Amino acid sequence: MRIRKYDVDYSRRLFLERTAQGAFATGVLAPLWPLIASGDMSKAYPDELTSVEMYTKGKVKTGDVLTASNVDAVKDLLDPITFQQIKTMGRRITVVETVKDPTLLYPMAFLETSLKNKGKAKLGADGNIVDQAGDSWLGGIPFAEPKTGEEAIANLTLSWGRHDYCQYAIRQWDISPGGDPAYQYDFVWAELQANARLDGTSFQNKKDLLRIQSVWFTSPQDVAGSSFLSTWYYDQHKYPDLYGYLPAFKRVRQFPTNQRFEPLLPGITWFLSDAWAAGDPMLTWGNYKIVGRQPMLGAVSQNWHGSRKNWEIGVHGGPKGQTFLDANFSMCPECIVLEAEPVGYPRAPVGKKRVWIDVRNQQFVAYITYDRRGEIWKSFEVGWSRYQDGSTLVKDPKGNSEWSWTYVLSHDIQANRMSRAAHTESCAGGYKSQLADNGVDVYNKYLTNQAITRLGQA
Amino acid sequence: MGKGQMCARIVVLSLSFACCGMARADGDSGGGSGWFSDMDVSFGGFIRPEVALHTTDKENPLNERGNPYNSIAAPRQAYLPPNSGTALLSALGSPIKLPLPLNWNSIPLPNVPLLLTGRDTVQRPVPPANNAFNLHLLRAEVEIGVKFTNDLKLVGRLRAVGDFGHYSDFEGYGPDSRINGGISGGDPALYGGAPNYFQYRVEGDKHPNPLEWAGPNYMVYFPSLFLDYNHGPLNVRLGNQAIAWGQAIFFRVLDVPDGLDLRRHSVLDYAQEEYSDKRVPAPALRLGYQITDGILADGYVQKFQPTVYGNPNTQYNVVPVQFTVHDRYSEGGYEDKLGYGLRMKANFGQWGFQAIAVRRYNPDGVFRWTASGVDKNLPATTSGSTPNLLGTFVNLANVLSGGAGKNLAGTPFEASPGGVYSADEWFHYAAMVRLDGTNGLNAAVNDFMPYTTKVFASPVANYQQAVGELNTFFIAGGGDLRGHIEREYFQETNLGSGVSYVTDGEPGSILDQLIINVEATYTPARVFTAPTLGKNFLHQNDWVSALVLEKYQRFSQDFPATYFVLQYMHRTRDDLFGRSLRGYSGTDTAIPTGETNANYVVFAFQQPFPQDIYRIGFSTLYDPHGGILVQPGLQFKPTGHWSIDGFYTYINDHLSGNPNSNLLGGLGFANEFTLRVGYQF
Repeated sequence: MRIRKYDVDYSRRLFLERTAQGAFATGVLAPLWPLIASGDMSKAYPDELTSVEMYTKGKVKTGDVLTASNVDAVKDLLDPITFQQIKTMGRRITVVETVKDPTLLYPMAFLETSLKNKGKAKLGADGNIVDQAGDSWLGGIPFAEPKTGEEAIANLTLSWGRHDYCQYAIRQWDISPGGDPAYQYDFVWAELQANARLDGTSFQNKKDLLRIQSVWFTSPQDVAGSSFLSTWYYDQHKYPDLYGYLPAFKRVRQFPTNQRFEPLLPGITWFLSDAWAAGDPMLTWGNYKIVGRQPMLGAVSQNWHGSRKNWEIGVHGGPKGQTFLDANFSMCPECIVLEAEPVGYPRAPVGKKRVWIDVRNQQFVAYITYDRRGEIWKSFEVGWSRYQDGSTLVKDPKGNSEWSWTYVLSHDIQANRMSRAAHTESCAGGYKSQLADNGVDVYNKYLTNQAITRLGQA
Repeated sequence: MGKGQMCARIVVLSLSFACCGMARADGDSGGGSGWFSDMDVSFGGFIRPEVALHTTDKENPLNERGNPYNSIAAPRQAYLPPNSGTALLSALGSPIKLPLPLNWNSIPLPNVPLLLTGRDTVQRPVPPANNAFNLHLLRAEVEIGVKFTNDLKLVGRLRAVGDFGHYSDFEGYGPDSRINGGISGGDPALYGGAPNYFQYRVEGDKHPNPLEWAGPNYMVYFPSLFLDYNHGPLNVRLGNQAIAWGQAIFFRVLDVPDGLDLRRHSVLDYAQEEYSDKRVPAPALRLGYQITDGILADGYVQKFQPTVYGNPNTQYNVVPVQFTVHDRYSEGGYEDKLGYGLRMKANFGQWGFQAIAVRRYNPDGVFRWTASGVDKNLPATTSGSTPNLLGTFVNLANVLSGGAGKNLAGTPFEASPGGVYSADEWFHYAAMVRLDGTNGLNAAVNDFMPYTTKVFASPVANYQQAVGELNTFFIAGGGDLRGHIEREYFQETNLGSGVSYVTDGEPGSILDQLIINVEATYTPARVFTAPTLGKNFLHQNDWVSALVLEKYQRFSQDFPATYFVLQYMHRTRDDLFGRSLRGYSGTDTAIPTGETNANYVVFAFQQPFPQDIYRIGFSTLYDPHGGILVQPGLQFKPTGHWSIDGFYTYINDHLSGNPNSNLLGGLGFANEFTLRVGYQF
């Protein structure tokens, strides 16, 4: 029997103390990162933080489905919008086993690089992330045990998809307040790391860039061809350059770069700013604060449905049974609670954001925004997973199963509109998801001005 | 999946199987193995009825039934032709002795009942229109993408447009339609009676647009049908396509590769859509090469395709129907001509640069008088069955020189219904379409001698003489004369450049992220239509430039950012529609004084509502010489399938001064509310 020294209150007190002291250690029973390096995190936390049954004193067990009838028992483990979804909108979430194997929370190459480069990052005098020699970051998580809010957001910002190149075929449905899928879009989102790469290089020696990112819509017909190219500078004070191709104009045009809080297309609830909970250059936001540490339930594993047609995910809940994607949540023993304000966007409708970051992989498990009046506005929930579903799997170049996001639920709770997006195998236009360039010159194909002209089609 | 969607998918997939035999259906995407493992077929489209509700009592004056002289009785006085000679008068038994020198105001001809009409009033014999609608369109489009490999794809867009509405259409000239055999010159499909809404026809070719099939009430064509090949920094597009260049929108400064298709709704569609479906596609080879991250080379070679104007008597026709147009695109050999150009585009952070060099045939073409080719004597009677002594006199006088018909065929005139009936009408229209009524008459006479001399025409010295000569010939023509003009095309070189800059200001301020763009083109010795329609076109060096300011600004936490654009255009030789400024500022009684330059200001904004389900748009085009176009609109997209757009177009061409001094003079008929309801699949 485990000595009850490490009950929930102990962990809570410890987290409060760490937050108050600005301490950066992770793990309760033992430092987390040596255990991550060893491949087994089970000794880092007491059962009370890894077992939902123990946390809820038996009210919810692994394998249970969270519903309106039992969600009160885990209210403290959910962000307020997710709680409301379950409590009032018919959402159901299955609780699955807590992850103890750290490799399930990373792409293998990213984990290896993070371990290799652990401790080598620092914030430069201008706030940017550099290695000990003052050069661009080497790749992987820069701050495994972030001491500040800036370091915590840097972990999310520097490598969004945690691969050197990601290309996501996405199918999104936008659900009206009445619960009907009012809009459906297919689009492709591509990210190419210019620096902070896992291969240790600067892409084509573009040392002044962090990433090149494009998004192009492929369906329906009225928006097919709308495409945007965003070039991010390594200097996180600078706004990305933004170029867009709109079918009506039939040419690439320059767009202002600070319009990051606007609906991209009718019905879509998320903004560019919401991507990865770090959609803007990190130093264009400010007042970063770690306001707490706590356990959470998060969609961090077992969320890929590769055996299903086009990897699509089942739906349920809401007025018409169409509002939510099926999801599996598990205990995340320790999460940093980070808040920040859009100080570089004085006219932004967002007043602040709150992000819960799982310290095991420094990835966010919950993210909500508040409006300027301080009212809760939107959530941006992402499901993560190893890409293994029974015998179906997607492999990385070394034969490991891949890891990526699987879905997004972006819920505007004020307008009660939901955007649910699925990371699918392919989308209209014949574009397939891939987590490496697969030998294709993806830069010229998807990430130049000429490319977005071509992607604009007719 | 809807039934229509399934049918369409079957068609597309069948085509794919036929092409390669290796595709398989899999949801919205196909996949296969082997060479075509990346193969995919995608498909989408929409259908959209569009109506424009006419909100003014004005009709398009360039059409038969919109002509104000259908309701105005114009006085006419015939004069003795100054070159007819005393001998001829004597031969007719007149005791009059001619004073010398004579002109077209010297000797008025008297009215002799049942014998000679020397003075009358005339009202055009066409009932005025009273349209409730300007437009009834049904538009359908499908877009097909066939991805053969990761590098090669086929892109096709098929557009079908039908106009099945009921209008106060011109349907011929009623009892007068057979006067002198009716209209003889020109293409009967265009000038034979009821309007032909869609067929683009030129002399010698009934089908000059490739990949277009049309009838009077429908049109089906491929705005795009091309193969796209990409490998590394090289991109190649081969096939029917449209090309758009430049950053400025609506104002076409660097956007020179293609002409515009002004059938359907002319330039009066939703202004903020720019020319999305207006550029005339052409078979082309387009090569793009991304030289560095910031530098792009973009070149093309394409078959020359002209701007397509609305046909006679269609709602937005821009050429007065008293003219018969002979388009020489085919006969002149322009069908075989090519245009080519190169653009270099560079982006360096906040700065953007572009430069173009284009050698092309100006797709707008130029017009001038041309021989009618109509061998038809002047009628023996007028429309009122009164003996036409003047016409008979001309016919008889030409018996020995081959006949009046033969000689008239060598002039730009034809004695048939539907032409100009009075000098008043002549001058009114000349001023309206930016031509010189007096010198235009002289050009028609001088450029077609000796035929014009044989039918007693001669140059005039001033407006009053022109009135005398015109009215004389309209009476002699049995009531009116139709004019014949030809359209030709000239090669030119367009050199242009543009600079854009995105400002950095206090975050959130009006000067933050303001996009400033300046573009200019220079065309040496550009050829313009002479306001006289004379055989000698104008050759002038031409500058066109524009300043564009664009800004997104948030005014409220609850509403997305408002998009503003403020544009200024300066032109040195022609107006926005390509008409020479020398033809500007004419009146019903005075020849044009011309303008030295043209300036336009556009202000537009778009305000999306939260979630962008509603979007308000507003555009205005202001010509400081007294014209304004204002177009508010609302777009509503309740679901992904449905979209509803409504916009109102208000044109005031007489804010101040002479309407013929501003761009919009003559367009006041186009005040209308347009509604479009689209369903996409």
